[in-house]
Amino acid sequence: MATGPGPTPILLRSLSAAVLADGSGDLALRREARGASEEWGGVYGQLVRLTGPWRLRFWDGAREYGLPETRAARSTVGERWRSEHRLGSIVVRQEIAPTHRPAGAIRTVRCSVEGDRPVQLTVHSAFRPYLLPTLVEGIRPISYRAQTSAEGLHLRQRGFGLDVRSTVAPSHLYIDRASWIGGRRDGAIDEFGSDHELVVAPGTESVLRWAIVGGLERDLAGSAGDVGRRLADPEPTFAASEREEAAWYAATPTLRFPDAPALEQGYATARAALRCLYSEPGDSMTGLVAGYPWYSAIWCRDVAWMLPALLWLGDFDWTARSIATVLRFQSRARLPLLGGEPGELPMQISPGPIFFYGTSDTSLYFPDLAERYVRHSGDVATAAAWRPMLRAVIDWGLARTDPATGLLRNGGEAEAISAATASIARVRYGIDSPDTTIWDSTDRRDHAIDVQVLWWAALGSALALDPAGASSRGPAPVRAALERLAATIPTAYDWPEERFLADSIRAGAPVKRLRPNALRAASAGLVDAARARTMAHRAAEDDLSSAWGVRTLSARDPAYRPDAYHDGQVWPIATAWAADAALAAGDAELGVDFLARIAAGYVADAGGANECYRGDRPEPFDSCFLLGLSVGPFVSVLFERLWGLRADVRTGELGVRPCFPAAWRSATLEGLRFGGGQVTLRYSAPTLEIAWSGPARLTVRFAGGTVAVEAGRTASVSLPSPPPAAGTLQ
Amino acid sequence: MRAGSFSHLLSAARQGFELGFEHGAHSVEALLWVAETVEESVYRSGSLLGGPDGLRFVLSNPPLRGGAFSALRLRVNGAAVAPDRFRVRTAGMADWRPAATLSKAAPVEIVAGRPVEFGAAVSLPVGAPAEVRLELECPAIPPLVWVEFRDIVRGA
Repeated sequence: MATGPGPTPILLRSLSAAVLADGSGDLALRREARGASEEWGGVYGQLVRLTGPWRLRFWDGAREYGLPETRAARSTVGERWRSEHRLGSIVVRQEIAPTHRPAGAIRTVRCSVEGDRPVQLTVHSAFRPYLLPTLVEGIRPISYRAQTSAEGLHLRQRGFGLDVRSTVAPSHLYIDRASWIGGRRDGAIDEFGSDHELVVAPGTESVLRWAIVGGLERDLAGSAGDVGRRLADPEPTFAASEREEAAWYAATPTLRFPDAPALEQGYATARAALRCLYSEPGDSMTGLVAGYPWYSAIWCRDVAWMLPALLWLGDFDWTARSIATVLRFQSRARLPLLGGEPGELPMQISPGPIFFYGTSDTSLYFPDLAERYVRHSGDVATAAAWRPMLRAVIDWGLARTDPATGLLRNGGEAEAISAATASIARVRYGIDSPDTTIWDSTDRRDHAIDVQVLWWAALGSALALDPAGASSRGPAPVRAALERLAATIPTAYDWPEERFLADSIRAGAPVKRLRPNALRAASAGLVDAARARTMAHRAAEDDLSSAWGVRTLSARDPAYRPDAYHDGQVWPIATAWAADAALAAGDAELGVDFLARIAAGYVADAGGANECYRGDRPEPFDSCFLLGLSVGPFVSVLFERLWGLRADVRTGELGVRPCFPAAWRSATLEGLRFGGGQVTLRYSAPTLEIAWSGPARLTVRFAGGTVAVEAGRTASVSLPSPPPAAGTLQ
Repeated sequence: MRAGSFSHLLSAARQGFELGFEHGAHSVEALLWVAETVEESVYRSGSLLGGPDGLRFVLSNPPLRGGAFSALRLRVNGAAVAPDRFRVRTAGMADWRPAATLSKAAPVEIVAGRPVEFGAAVSLPVGAPAEVRLELECPAIPPLVWVEFRDIVRGA
């Protein structure tokens, strides 16, 4: 059984490609995954894994060298990774960078010699082809078509493909280490190799550059010209990409917490991590990938947890296009083979287009996201165009609602897909997973509490966005369902012995398992502030909380196992829920304590943001090293709860109800995008200064009242202390 | 063809039509690429061999996803095979591990692209049809993962 997550990964990404490596010099990255040691290194394009490990070997006529054992230095500059290697008298300077459109990577080696004699150098390149979308994470295809042309090598696997080109034509080709003359070959391929001959003369640099690009075969068809230009001179492409990255960062807010520098650093890390996940893989799709390495696909639930953070970062355009992308794949009919019901939004999407349904919660996030988008951007027209799809989501939810209880039913989705495919496939495989909430490896049927809170929020947002419609039957059933849920959740799930709420309801009875999911009801204001505070404190007890975050299940539960994905491991998103609930209840010290645990994890992860950790020690296990769920909610809590912000550009109102610990003396938020201007907030206890660059009056609501800030002006208010409970889900 | 298969095929055709209508022919095509790749990439077609030692077959990839598996269960034509009557090894390697010896502390790792061979002390004549179901338990993600296939037993 593999132990420890492995070396600190190197992730280089463009909007449609990624390169994964371990920093040794080759594109190899061995990581623990579900207890096994697996190779995740290589090149990814258009959400398709193009290659496995891609290694170089050097032969100078006397001796063979590899990159890892000769590495003398390494550095990262933007999305470019560089290393220097000493091979006897030869110095190799390597640079690796991802590319966008066509998606892939460019790898350059510059060889020079120390001494006065030229050296004949053979460079051997070898990689393992994959060519399947990462959403099918456990499969490597077994059969390929390889073909050579004047432009290079073309590998195909059904509609997926990769092209390899180099500036120095190969002198020999190999398939599975056996010499290959080229032409066309169909069948199993485990490794493709090529030799390239270089003469390295004193005082000069010999350069060899490869491009591996790919994804969908049809998108490769017209890419030869672009690849050729980049091979000849990649600098303009890299420079343009770096300018784009710099512009994105410059447009996002800056947070300063002099009394909590770890949170300030945590925000910077989380913001950078979110940027890493931006994806525009093709087929007019926009979104964010869920994480790296094995969730590097667009999972729509994960997108939903990241988009609120993007709104606070001011990226309204990416948010709108991401929502539109998901809505585009809404199921219009029953599609049992894909797990889709009318109105349902997809679980995963990938260029092809390829999409699957079959979760109980993904659809429910999007009415609330659309409502937030309108408040932040003021773009009423776009949201109006989304109304028919959002009504269909509400219809889908109403159809899943139990008329006896008014609760939305979760579970059975994966079983339905399995039943639908039973008589069609010659080889069937599946997972006996009866339920598909965010903790989809554990059974939380029939009415998981966080699903009910999501449903309640979706209903409220649908009414806010579309008061005369909201569903195909109009607003009345939506309002009735909303009111019924608000009355049912705090009572039906009540668990007074634990001062908490039950995790689910099954066969009419509460499922008394202590999970952090119930905190979502506290954040939503579905329980009063005193009860929310009690729940947050209960979550902080050491059966549910650890020094490195909040567990998915209480350690006192008989089913608890410290290495079980959703029955004991610590998840940063669960910790963010606890912070959210504590701050919503007005407990600044506890909320900040939870946030600090997440931020400490980023430091321990060397700038990564692990998906999860063991429940009994702060060790990543079965964990993507970077996951959107581990950063998006953290960023949102900083803005919505710690700063207590609520934006509504339509009315020109910004709510500011900070919930800072009593010991804090100052905090600053610079460059918050609001309509056509930017807001800067400077807190110096007890005064809040508001600077506004916009063209019209800004109204700021705070705990003590409201203040109008005229265009281009600054205003100051004195904040009451202690901060009151916010008590509503934003 | 099993009873009900015609209706399933009709249902699949209808769903394909719906998909093509809503999202274009590309979507149907791309979903088929994935489905076909998965179907041919897990169970190695034709690898079900019968001989004096019993049955053998190869998985080229893990079903669904890789991991460290602490327990395996096998059924052949509906009959359970006792864990001490079947074994597993990385394809091409010498050492077999009886399924009965697997545990959380000593699991078998099955990962993408590394074929794994299974052997069972089950006697079936060459040419006989066999329906095989393999269940795999991964402690990290508890729900049972399974693969089922039908093939004709070939001579070893």
